[in-house]
Amino acid sequence: MELDAFKVAVDAWLDEHEHELASDYEGGGTLDQQVAQLRKVMGMAYAAGFMRMGWPERAGGLGGSNLLRAYLGEVLTARDLVEAGFYSLPEVLAPTMIDYAPETLAAEMVPKLLSGEEIWCQGFSEPGTGSNLGSLACRATHTDAGWRINGQKVWTSLAQYAQRCVLLTRTGTLESAHRGITAMFIDMDSPGITVRPIETMHGAEEFCEVFYDDVVVPLDRVLGEVDGGWSIAMDLLPYERSTALWHRASYLHRRLEQLVSAAPAGTLDPTGVGEATQLLWAFRARSRATQRRLAAGETLGSETSIDKVLVATAEQAIFELVGEGLGPEVATGDDPVSARWRAEFLYSRAATIYGGSAEIQRNIIARRLLALGDDR
Amino acid sequence: MEASELALFRSGIHHATETCSGEALDAALDELGWRDALVADRSTAVSVLFEALGSSVVDSSALDWLLAAALGEKDAVRTSVVLPLLRRAAPPGRVRAGRCEVHGLGTGAVARADAAVVVAEADGGPVAYTVKASSLELRQVRGLDPGLGIVEVTGDLDAAAGRPVDWEGAASIGQLAVGHELVGLARAMLELARQHALDRVQFGRPISSFQAIRHRLAESLVAVEAADGLLAAAWDDPSPVMAAMAKGMAGRSARAVARHAQQVLAGIGFTTEHPLHGYVRRTIVLDQLLGASSVLTRQLGDDVLERGALPPALPL
Ligand SMILES: Cc1cc2nc3c(=O)[nH]c(=O)nc-3n(C[C@H](O)[C@H](O)[C@H](O)COP(=O)(O)OP(=O)(O)OC[C@H]3O[C@@H](n4cnc5c(N)ncnc54)[C@H](O)[C@@H]3O)c2cc1C
Repeated sequence: MELDAFKVAVDAWLDEHEHELASDYEGGGTLDQQVAQLRKVMGMAYAAGFMRMGWPERAGGLGGSNLLRAYLGEVLTARDLVEAGFYSLPEVLAPTMIDYAPETLAAEMVPKLLSGEEIWCQGFSEPGTGSNLGSLACRATHTDAGWRINGQKVWTSLAQYAQRCVLLTRTGTLESAHRGITAMFIDMDSPGITVRPIETMHGAEEFCEVFYDDVVVPLDRVLGEVDGGWSIAMDLLPYERSTALWHRASYLHRRLEQLVSAAPAGTLDPTGVGEATQLLWAFRARSRATQRRLAAGETLGSETSIDKVLVATAEQAIFELVGEGLGPEVATGDDPVSARWRAEFLYSRAATIYGGSAEIQRNIIARRLLALGDDR
Repeated sequence: MEASELALFRSGIHHATETCSGEALDAALDELGWRDALVADRSTAVSVLFEALGSSVVDSSALDWLLAAALGEKDAVRTSVVLPLLRRAAPPGRVRAGRCEVHGLGTGAVARADAAVVVAEADGGPVAYTVKASSLELRQVRGLDPGLGIVEVTGDLDAAAGRPVDWEGAASIGQLAVGHELVGLARAMLELARQHALDRVQFGRPISSFQAIRHRLAESLVAVEAADGLLAAAWDDPSPVMAAMAKGMAGRSARAVARHAQQVLAGIGFTTEHPLHGYVRRTIVLDQLLGASSVLTRQLGDDVLERGALPPALPL
């Protein structure tokens, strides 16, 4: 299906099912409510076929361009039907499975993710490993029964809801750095996994500590090559900075629009509003070009770090304005809508942390795009 | 344009802007058929040429040709267009009591032209007058960027023969053109700073290895690409809102890059022995031509706040 026809069909479907799709809570809801809403909307969109468009047939999709996925996420977030960050998780996880999992595994699992039947998580960060992913220590040892995993992950988003995890493990020596890492696909109900949710600053238990004690993983659950996990992580990063970011822009557009209509007259500095608007438009222009390159079959790379810097800058500029125009709501409002402004105002602080920090993106730009050579 | 045609066009334009300026560049652009390209593929003709004008900090009559054509002028070759005073994007003339008072600016193109188009604000909307260049008073301005050949234009014309024109539409195209020129300037300043960072050794290592330097350069590239991407998107629908937004972003980005490049180039970049100063001068002047970024940005915010709504989103 072409993009234009897809837009018409999706819009009509959203109008027709407006009431069933709407959340049954006001404002942002609790994390439980958000996850339930996400699964409901994804389930309905999957059953209607829209959620399968833009994904390859061998993974349960219906084929077609990535632009279809981009549009679906854009409208679902623009209508506030899903939480943009959670909705976009499959944009990061599904391509990894499709590109690196054994074919039958991908065909079996990806539909569960896209239909909202399952939630998956991404276990990369560890207590001693944040930006420097190459130093990760969570150990996987080869045994006859399978891989035996011991170690700890941290800040694993939605781990408490997840049925599966894409996990990065250390299979080489620690000194082997990025060469000795292996990616695996884990069932979260495996014996030996303990999940402890962590309360975040924005008032949700969005991510967790996850402990792995002698967890056994079947040998056929390795993604890609043994000791080849680094390239998987690197290949996945441009995905994290393409379609998912287009969805995020749609969310930011909605919030900026709500802000300028809700903020009392005289509370917002026009220059600040102008700057934030320019930034958001510049980001959308950039992200649209990225979507089009992807649709044309180009392989995305380090240039998507520019997209990531722009979206994080726009997000923080917009929520700085929220702090000005809706300061009292953020600070003392206890109604559901104010609570959402507060939560999202706080969450915007993480925009320069997750998915590769602002500094790491600038390091990538300096080294790869400006060819500035070594930084020592 | 086809890819091969585009490559040829681009290299022709680059050769011209790298080797000549002023009248000679005008002649070279004529030979390259730039004005035909303007008719055939306006966004390509404008973006390629104006970015190149910025990269080489040269002067041509292209902005005047572009505006004259957008204002419906048939013989745009020897015709210049009086520009608004710096900071503003409103027409440079005003019709009052049967007279048209003119107070605006011209670039080097004015001195080379036989005729000038003056657009003036009138009760029924903007009107244009095509007059002999000699009927306007020109005062050469040196100022910050003498190379640009700016003149202050004043005049008092008979207001009888004005024809209605779409000044806003023409000014929007002009804003996009100057936006591309600012991107060209910014890219060139970034390249000067980048090369210097790789060459300059302090504390026994190239300064490009210091993260503070790397991040300034990275920040500059983000600024350049943000402006360039927004300009490209604005051509899809060169509405006054989109053009002003893109020009505002381009001005802010070029100014930011100028600051970063100046800091990375340090002492040598503060001399007239290094080319940076020429780029900085032109950036500061062009940022204010056809609407300064400070004004355009504030105006955008004012409009958004007044309507309580954003401009239409870019469609996928
Ligand atoms: C909301 C949220 C959700 C997340 N979800 C997940 C998830 O689902 N799965 C997962 O695996 N992880 C997740 N993370 C973790 C995230 O990926 C890390 O927080 C991130 O990689 C940064 O690591 P760190 O927090 O340990 O900071 P550190 O790496 O310790 O960095 C601290 C500071 O030092 C700077 N710094 C570090 N190295 C350099 C350098 N070389 N040059 C310049 N500055 C540097 C950083 O930019 C930062 O400002 C999430 C984080 C957040 C905030």
